[in-house]
Parts: sequence; C-alpha cells; structure tokens
Amino acid sequence: MFKVMFKPLLKNRKFLIGFSVFLFFLVLGLFGPIFYRVDPTEMTWNHEKPPSREHPLGTDTYGRDILAQLIHGIRSSLYIGFLSAIISLTIGTFVGTFSAVKRGVVDETLMAITNIVLTTPSILVAILIASYMRVRNVEMVALILGLFQWPWFARAIRAQLMSVMSREYVYLSVMAGYSDLRLIFEDLIPTIATYAFMSFVLFINGGIMGEASLSLIGLGPTQGISLGIMLQWAVLMEAVRRGLWWWFVPPGVSIVAITASLLVISTAMDEVFNPRLREE
Amino acid sequence: MVEPLLKVEGVRAYYKLGRVFVRAVDGVSFEVNEGEVLGVVGESGCGKSTLSNVLMMNLRKPLVLVEGRVLFKMGNGFLEISSLGREEVKKRLWGKEMAVIPQSAMNALMPTIKVRKYVEHLAESHNIPKEEILEKIRIRFQEVGLDPVWLERYPFEFSGGMRQRAVIAIATLLNPQLLIADEPTSALDVVNQKIFLKVLMQMKKRGIVKSIVFITHDIATLRQMADRMVVMYAGKVVEVSPLEEMLRKPLHPYTKGLLDSVLTPEPEVKDRGITTIPGAPPNLIDPPTGCRFHPRCTYAMKVCREKEPALVEVEKGRKVACFLFTEEIA
Amino acid sequence: MASKQMLRYLFRRFLFLFVTYVVATTVVFLLPRVIPGNPLSQLLSNLSMVAQANPEAIRAAERALMEEFGLGKPWYVQYVEFISKALRGDLGTSITFYPRKVLDLIVPVLPWTLVLLLPATLVAWILGNTLGAQAAYRRNTWVDKGVLTTSLVVSQIPYYWLGMIFIFLFGVRLKLLPTQGAYSQGVIPSLTFSFFVDVLRHYILPFLSIVVSAMGGWAIGMRLMVIYELGSDYVLFSETLGVSDKRIFKYVFRNSLLPQITGLALSLGSILGGALITEIVFNYPGTGYLLFRALTTLDYPMIQGIFVILIASVYLANFLVDFIYAVIDPRIRIGQEA
Repeated sequence: MFKVMFKPLLKNRKFLIGFSVFLFFLVLGLFGPIFYRVDPTEMTWNHEKPPSREHPLGTDTYGRDILAQLIHGIRSSLYIGFLSAIISLTIGTFVGTFSAVKRGVVDETLMAITNIVLTTPSILVAILIASYMRVRNVEMVALILGLFQWPWFARAIRAQLMSVMSREYVYLSVMAGYSDLRLIFEDLIPTIATYAFMSFVLFINGGIMGEASLSLIGLGPTQGISLGIMLQWAVLMEAVRRGLWWWFVPPGVSIVAITASLLVISTAMDEVFNPRLREE
Repeated sequence: MVEPLLKVEGVRAYYKLGRVFVRAVDGVSFEVNEGEVLGVVGESGCGKSTLSNVLMMNLRKPLVLVEGRVLFKMGNGFLEISSLGREEVKKRLWGKEMAVIPQSAMNALMPTIKVRKYVEHLAESHNIPKEEILEKIRIRFQEVGLDPVWLERYPFEFSGGMRQRAVIAIATLLNPQLLIADEPTSALDVVNQKIFLKVLMQMKKRGIVKSIVFITHDIATLRQMADRMVVMYAGKVVEVSPLEEMLRKPLHPYTKGLLDSVLTPEPEVKDRGITTIPGAPPNLIDPPTGCRFHPRCTYAMKVCREKEPALVEVEKGRKVACFLFTEEIA
Repeated sequence: MASKQMLRYLFRRFLFLFVTYVVATTVVFLLPRVIPGNPLSQLLSNLSMVAQANPEAIRAAERALMEEFGLGKPWYVQYVEFISKALRGDLGTSITFYPRKVLDLIVPVLPWTLVLLLPATLVAWILGNTLGAQAAYRRNTWVDKGVLTTSLVVSQIPYYWLGMIFIFLFGVRLKLLPTQGAYSQGVIPSLTFSFFVDVLRHYILPFLSIVVSAMGGWAIGMRLMVIYELGSDYVLFSETLGVSDKRIFKYVFRNSLLPQITGLALSLGSILGGALITEIVFNYPGTGYLLFRALTTLDYPMIQGIFVILIASVYLANFLVDFIYAVIDPRIRIGQEA
C-alpha cells in the first residue's frame, strides 16, 4: 500500500520541492543546536550588530545571537505545531467517527458543538484563555491552539465516513462477501488516511501560525524561545522602524517557508490522490 | 433509399494516460442513417460513452482521435468534422445540427438560474432572437408534457422525470438533425423511463430530429424503439444488424450472451433462458490478442486467439466480426 | 421575494448564532473561575504593589473587580448577572482607565478597526477569487502555475509580518509612507482635506498587508472550486448545446463563488485575529491596539469586554453573510431538501 501511495508522489515536482524545504527546516530545528553550539540567551556587548562572521545573523538589543535564537525558535515552533496538530487530529477523528457511527442524538449533539466551535474565532478564544494563565509552557500553548482547530476536520471525516459506509462498504461487503475487517483496512482506512495526513499537515501550519500570533501579543510561552517570541522581541524593541532587518526577517521567513512548504505538500497530495484534480 | 446522416470511418480514439493508451474506440466504422433510431449496446466500459463524444467530435485532452474520419451531412455534401477543431465543431454544429441528452440529465441544467434564463442564454449564444426562442420553448415544453409555467422555476424544483423531459425539450430546441442519447434512462424509475422514451420517439415522429443514436447497456429499452443495432465490445463493433433480425437470430456470440443476460426477458429470448456471460470485459490498455472476445467466448477457436476478425456483411444489412461466419473458418 | 423557506432558514441561523453567543459568553464567565492559580487574586495583589502610592485608587479598583466578577455571591447569581449584562451590552468598568466603562473605551476605537478590516477583507476576497478563477480557467498554463505558486507562499505570510516588511521597505528604506499610527502625531483629527490625505497615507501600508496576504488563500480556494465546477454535468451539457464559453465561465464563476461566501463567513474570525495583530505592529489606534494595552496591564474587564464585542461582531457578520447567501442562492431562497 505504501509503495503504491508514495511512488506517484515522488514523481510530483511540487511535492519534492515542498518536502525538501520542510526537511531542511526540520533538520535545522532537530540537529541545529548540536552543531551550532551558541547559547541563544547569552548576552554579549555586541548590541544590535548586523550579520558578521562572529554572528552570522547578527545580534539583538542584548547582544544575543540571532542565529542561535532562530535555530531554537524553529525547534520549539515545530514542536508546538506538531503537538497542537496531534491534539486537533485526535479530537477531530474522535468526534467525526463517533458522529458517523452513532448517528442520531449523539451525531446531532456533536455536530452542534462542532458548529459552535467552528463559528467562534479560535484565535480570540486562545487569546482569552492564554490571558488568564500566568505561566505558560510550550505544551500549554500547543494545547490552547489544538483545542480549537479541529471542527472542519471532524465534519469532513464524518461526511467521508458516512459516504464510504453507505456506498462501498455495505455494497461491497454484501456483493463480494468480504469480511468487515478486511474492508475497514482496505477501503475505509486508506480513504481517510490520505485525508487525515493532509489535514495533519495543515494543522501543523495552524499551530505554528497560532503560536506566532499569541507570542506577538505577549501570550506565547513564558519561557524558552519560539519564532513568535523572536518577532515579539523585535516589535517591542522597535527593530522594524529602526531598520534592524536581520532581527525580524529570519523568523518571518522561517514561518512562511515552513508553513508554505507544508501547504505545498498537502496541495501536491491532493493533486495526486484526488481523482477530480488528476491532470491526466 | 436510405441516406446516411453521419458516417464513422475507421475511427480510433484513445485516452492518452502518460505513456499508455486506453483504446476506448478502436477501429470503428458504421453509419447513422437519416430517419432511423440507431441503438448502440455493450457492457459498461466497452467504449460506448467515448463513442458518443467521438460522434460529436467532443474530444478533450486525454481523449485523442488517432485515426479515421467522422463525416456529417450538411446540405448536399458531407462535412468532415473530424478535420475541424473542437471549437470549430462546437460553433458550427453543436446544438444546431447535433445535440446530446447526457447520462446524468438530473444535474445537466445550470442549477442557480431559472430555466427561462438558461434558454435565453442559449439563444444569445446562437444569435437567435429571444422572443422567438421563448415562444418555441413554450411549445416544446407542452410537447414533452411540461406546463410552460415551469420555465419560471429553478431546475432543483423539478422532479427527476421532469428534469429529464426539460433536458429533451432544451436539447431539441434548435431542431438538431441528430440527437445522441447517452444512457439517458439509467437514473429513472420504470414509469418515468416509459414516459421518457415516448417523448423521445415523438421528437422523431414530429420531425424535430431526424435521427437518434441511443446508447445503452440495456437492450430491453432499445427493443421498443431502435431500427438498427450496433453492438460494441472492448472498443470494437462486433455486430451491426436490424433490430428485429438481431433479436430473432443474433450472430455474434457476444450478442447472444447479451440477449441471454437481459433481466426482463422478452418473448423472443425467454425460451432461451437467462444466463450471464462469464468473465469480465477486458481492460482496454492491453486488450487480448486476436478477437477481443475470445477469452470469454464458448465457441473460441485457435484462429480467434491469433487473428482479428474483420466486420463483414454476411446477410443483407447484417455485419458481424466473427470467424464463425467468415470463410476463414475452414 | 423573501419566501417562507428563506425566513425559516434565516431564523434557524439566527437561533444557532444566538446559542453560540450564549455559549461563548458562558466560556468567558467560566474561564477566570476555573483556571487554576486564580488570576484575579493575583491581579489584586499585583495592583496593590503597583499602585501603593495611591491607596484610594487601588481600593476603588478592588471594589470594581469584586463588582465586575460578582465575587462572593453564589455562582448561579454571578452567572445570571453576567449573562444578562452581556446581552444588554454592559461590559463593566475598566481597571486601567478606572472608572471609565469598557464600552465607552471600545466604541471610539472600533471604527478604526472596521475601516481597516472591512475594505481590506472585501478587496482581498474579490481580487483573490478573480485571480483563482482565471488560473483555473487557464489550467496548466504559466498563468495558472504562477498564480498557484505565488498564492501558496503568499497565503502563508502572516499579515503582521508582511506589515513589518512593508514598514521596513516603504517606510524606513524608501521613506515613502509613514510607519505608524492612523494619522500624524500632533495632528488634531478634523474634517479637512489635508487630514483626509494624512489618514489615507497612514492607511495604505496596513491595508495592503492585509489585502496581499489574505488574497492568496482565496485564490487557492477559488481555483479548486472552479476546477471542480468545470467538470460538472451542467457545464458539459451546456457545451454540447453550443452555449458560448464566456457564458459558461459566468455560470462556473457564479456557482463557485457561493461556497466562497460561506468560506468568508467561516474565516472572519481568523482574519479579524490577524488584523488585530497588524494594528499592534502599526500602532494603529484600533481594537487590536486597545486589546494589547489591556493584555499588558491585565485589565480583565476590558479583555473580556473586547472579546465579547468582537465575538458578537463576528456572529453578526456571519448572519449578514448568511442573509446575502440566501438572497443569492435560489436553492436556499426557495428551499430545497437538505
């Protein structure tokens, strides 16, 4: 199954580009701190210096090394993204599957809740919740973000399950005499797996973006460095209006590169697996 | 004297998928005569829907015409529509000379505007005065058994059968000579099927359309209306016969199988009993060698595996592509 | 024109949004009471440290807080009071700007946010949809590839970061446009032409940051919708009838736009979130800027008030979009089996 799945993907140029860019940032976040052993919190007397050999991406107001901050920032932003995506995916799968299988009152209640969360601006709720927390670690921020991203996924999963169950599943199991289990593994899971993976990728985007937004208004993690916190510092210190481009450009570029590469991956997968979009 | 309205000559139309071809229509020749209803039958996936696109020269990217000609009678001569581009054919023939009743007539009408508006747009595209066409559609609606007040409604307000009739009314609005019906009854219940077929035949009787090509997998529906039959198998025409003769005495083994598998048996086939053709239609990327039907044919001989039978006239007006009927049997 | 079905649909939507609003305000009520660490008591001790010099003010603020949150009363009394106040639009008293009412503080900044947000969102929506439709119509040409690639990247740029880049490029480097505020410092707002020009000059950069980065998402969505729609039965049938390409494209555009209207309703929240932060980056005196001040001073009544107002506006806008949708789509106006 995996061979069949990945072969057409590896031929897709969009997918390869997106995947390479993402891999680059993933490796940078995971292994960067091992190879670039500079403490991102260490203050030096080199205030606000543009990129030099000593500091490849320059320094901030307290003489801290921007490249070190960036590497650690990418790391925790990715971590928050993954964590919030796992939370969203779990809730969404649970709600969607439960709705589709149970139907009736359970379905109606769950869908009502889903619609309420869907209509409510998640970033505002996240701001409100975060504002009541004096101490926020990285996991808590991921949780706050993950709690409100799932509704559209739950609805899609429910719709897909219902259509699969009403058509192929019942029809084929009757016609072909396959066991239910075999059908679940051969038909149901693969249909949903591609979609779930694509959604997971988009959830990571939501998490990374959400963290940046929260951090920028001072509601990000209260310890550690993330891409959003770098931007927050830059804004607080008026880096933009004072022209310190090496401070606010790298974290923004990283956010855009990571999220755009993930979006490209998901778009490419859609083009490969969605028969309505297939080009030939 | 029967005059052909449309001639198909040695047409091959393939879907180009990467490096492989799906040979959906593979060396097909036949005529549609003026004033006849020609039935095209075959199992799903035998290329009959592709054929309807070929007749219209409605070829879109993966589907390409590899070989052959399609000729349409215009005035006194024939126009080789296969030598024109899709846009050109669309501009000169579609709607005016030939029209289609699609497989999914249920969703064939633009959903978010009123039917009258749609008809007006149709007039505009063909540079016909609005009033003239509105007058015409009112009459046409009555002819298909729809109250003209429904022109002021949206398609989703129509029932399934009504939508189908509205589609006939609109498709025949410009009096096309040729009407191609592509599995039009598959989504209808029995009552609506009957009404639909009646309306379709009336269009021909009144002379609104000259000829009808009726494509279906279900011989039973054709029995009530077709004059001649074209039987397709795996992208090839295996038999061409007048309907009555074919029902009385099918020539090709595949035709026999089709008639035997009809679920609502007609008197002629009843006594033969109901059977199904063993096996599934072959894939059209890599079709069997020789006669494409040979893996499923109970009469298959050695020659069937090796050579491809040609479509030859064996009786007057009857053609078949099978070695059982050609000299080569010897 | 307003048929029974349409009214029923609108009533159902209204009811749903009303319930959603009550749920949201309930969450606002619950949060400070269930989050461990009781931020309110911490706030009180904070206040007493900060404002030692003025015991009078601190006692007043303390009283205000107790009053605001109804602390000391049974929870159901608190809840009923809270909800009824929220529905009446009484948002309480600010702590930072004591004794001014939260509502009185929000009302003057709200227009700035609306003037920035609404035109930018609409322009982005229109441009994005046009671009996406054009790309889909010319599928697999360089126009399509260019639009798609650009949109994929641009749609992922946070508004506020694009704002920073714009400030740096056009404000700091090229010195073409002002870098912050809604009008020049020291200028007294008046109804003169020169003030209007001043406001406009301050408006361009934040407006553009929102338009440019919001456009990409709409273009991607519209492109997909049009591609789907181009394969639908009514398009194929219209073609075989010889309906002109121009007309068919109009059909497709119209029918693809309908889901995009729903999409607009659903993304209003995140657009708003992005716009608020953009205001902060530009020091634009809107709701976002006020929220930022409230957050840094932990002015909870104000934070809650802004939240309730914004969320109500989003629901209201949602309802408006529903209404527009019902007017445009005959399937809802006339009613169709769901």
